[in-house]
Amino acid sequence: MQALPDGLTVVVKRDCPTCVMVEPVLRDLAARGATLTVLTQDDTSFPSGVPTVIDDTGLELSWRLDIETVPTLLRIQNGAETERTVGWHRADWERVAGVAGLGSDLPAQRPGCGSLNTDPSLADELDIRFGRVTFKSRKVEIGEYEDEHEACFERDWTDGLPVVPPTQVRVRRMLEGTLRQPGEVLGAMPPDYQPCTVEKVAVNAVMAGCKPEYMPVLLAAVEAVLDDAFCLHGVIATTMFVGPIVVVNGPVRRALGMNAGVNALGQGNRANSTIGRALQLTIRNVGGGKPGGVDRATLGTPGKVGFCFAEDEEGSCWEPLSVERGVAPGRSAVTLYAGYGVQGVVDQTSRTPESLTRSFAACLRAMYHPKVFPGPDAFVVVSPEHHRIYREAGWTKAQFKSELMALTTVLADDVLAGLDGMTPGVSEKMRGKRIPKLRPDGLNVVRAGGNAGLFSAILPGWSPGSVNSQVTTKEVRD
Amino acid sequence: MPALIVVSTAFEQAADVQSKALGYDPTIVWVPHPIQDRTDEEMRALADRTFDEIVTRMTASA
Amino acid sequence: MTSRILLDPTGEHTAVRRKAAPRPTSLEGLTVGLLDIGKARGDIYLDRVAERLGERGIAVKRYAKPTPSRLASAETRQKMLGEVQAAVIGLAD
Repeated sequence: MQALPDGLTVVVKRDCPTCVMVEPVLRDLAARGATLTVLTQDDTSFPSGVPTVIDDTGLELSWRLDIETVPTLLRIQNGAETERTVGWHRADWERVAGVAGLGSDLPAQRPGCGSLNTDPSLADELDIRFGRVTFKSRKVEIGEYEDEHEACFERDWTDGLPVVPPTQVRVRRMLEGTLRQPGEVLGAMPPDYQPCTVEKVAVNAVMAGCKPEYMPVLLAAVEAVLDDAFCLHGVIATTMFVGPIVVVNGPVRRALGMNAGVNALGQGNRANSTIGRALQLTIRNVGGGKPGGVDRATLGTPGKVGFCFAEDEEGSCWEPLSVERGVAPGRSAVTLYAGYGVQGVVDQTSRTPESLTRSFAACLRAMYHPKVFPGPDAFVVVSPEHHRIYREAGWTKAQFKSELMALTTVLADDVLAGLDGMTPGVSEKMRGKRIPKLRPDGLNVVRAGGNAGLFSAILPGWSPGSVNSQVTTKEVRD
Repeated sequence: MPALIVVSTAFEQAADVQSKALGYDPTIVWVPHPIQDRTDEEMRALADRTFDEIVTRMTASA
Repeated sequence: MTSRILLDPTGEHTAVRRKAAPRPTSLEGLTVGLLDIGKARGDIYLDRVAERLGERGIAVKRYAKPTPSRLASAETRQKMLGEVQAAVIGLAD
């Protein structure tokens, strides 16, 4: 930065009535022989009648001097600032300038205006331009004639849909949504096992269309998938359908305006859609696991663009999923589950919990294949209308789950391989034994959905067996 | 589509800037500078000398 | 201008590269477009390239930019995309 000469420096902008008002004072100071340097922020022809006017429309000098108000009068001695005064205040100006009788026809004082470098729409840009804010992520310059949206497609950064180009200003603002440091490493992202930092998550969050306030939830979701127990590498690489599903609990749902009601599992809510998407983009971009590459899913599912919803806790007589999984009531948390599509449970006629539970069980037994036992894990999403039946009968969640486990355990003889002309099924060796569809920890229940509709949903999980992704829960922290 | 640019070596730095501006890294075949003052014969000879390279770099190895 | 810079969302495992269009295994049976960017002597060079391609039985189409300082017009580019499967652009000096 160029050094300011010893003497007086004044920072002004034309678009400030007080600066315009003191223009004669500046001429007066210059005429009296003061070494006066004026920095002008918007109009290089203002002020006139003063010998030394420096063009600071780039705002670098104002920024480095930390100017907040215009006009600001500074005294410079031996190359350093010794004092400053802001706005117009005759007594202060006379003291700083070391002269008497300034602006005698002006009011004794008048406040100034905001300095241009503090304009909220410019502040981030300037901090980046002048180096106060730096990023660890590689800077990618896009061509002068390149469309910035096409640029993202062509660099293979997207999930097939357009993304918001991750400029430095946008990433900076996204990082303001969390107290965590940009350099914090959340873990190594498979399959490339590159370090996934808070900053990388922010870049992908910008692309997904998140708001900064979504960052704490998103970071918790990334932490959850990076937990060894979630087995993310396997989830990405499998030929099965699954992808990570995010279920959100606690006060953060309201704070972010998440959807736990009508169309909860569908599109239309920014928080639901973009948090789910940001997680997938982070996994894909930081980890390198892409369809056709490490991702070998035969069919996949639309949910792999992103799948995130909030549990409807209000009015439920069942404890929220997070509380069931050990999070203190009233705290926000995310639960990650490797699941795929929505299997509907349409039961519009059951009036008793017994009958309704049998409907759920029948649908659960059909997961994956009606004759394959054991089957995948399951998330059961009970709608408010269905839940009402349990609430009115006084069934606890534990009771519901235990009934489901019992009703989804069958006699092997009924589902033997080859039976009903279908090759799949349970081995002949199991004849006479009872065999469960679900493993003991394989069933989770949440409540969500609109108030009208006697439909619930099952979200089937990954394949059965020893290689399994465990449901993981992480608390949301700022 | 596959594209290739024939560039004189004097242009080396500018080509780099151009491709940044256009946003792609084209396949470049270099020809020695200068160009402007060459005779027709010399230009045809240049074309002959670089022809094989053009064909090779426009096609993928099997 | 900082807005023409994007931050890399990837794990930075590899260099940032725009994918080049896939190359054909052979030019036989294709039509090659020769775009003259208008610098002096470039036409002679491209004439000879066209001749040699013709000797191999490869079809050639010729295009020209009005002046070297402008990009090929969108119309020219569209035309090329529709008429040829590979392009040689020259001669930049």
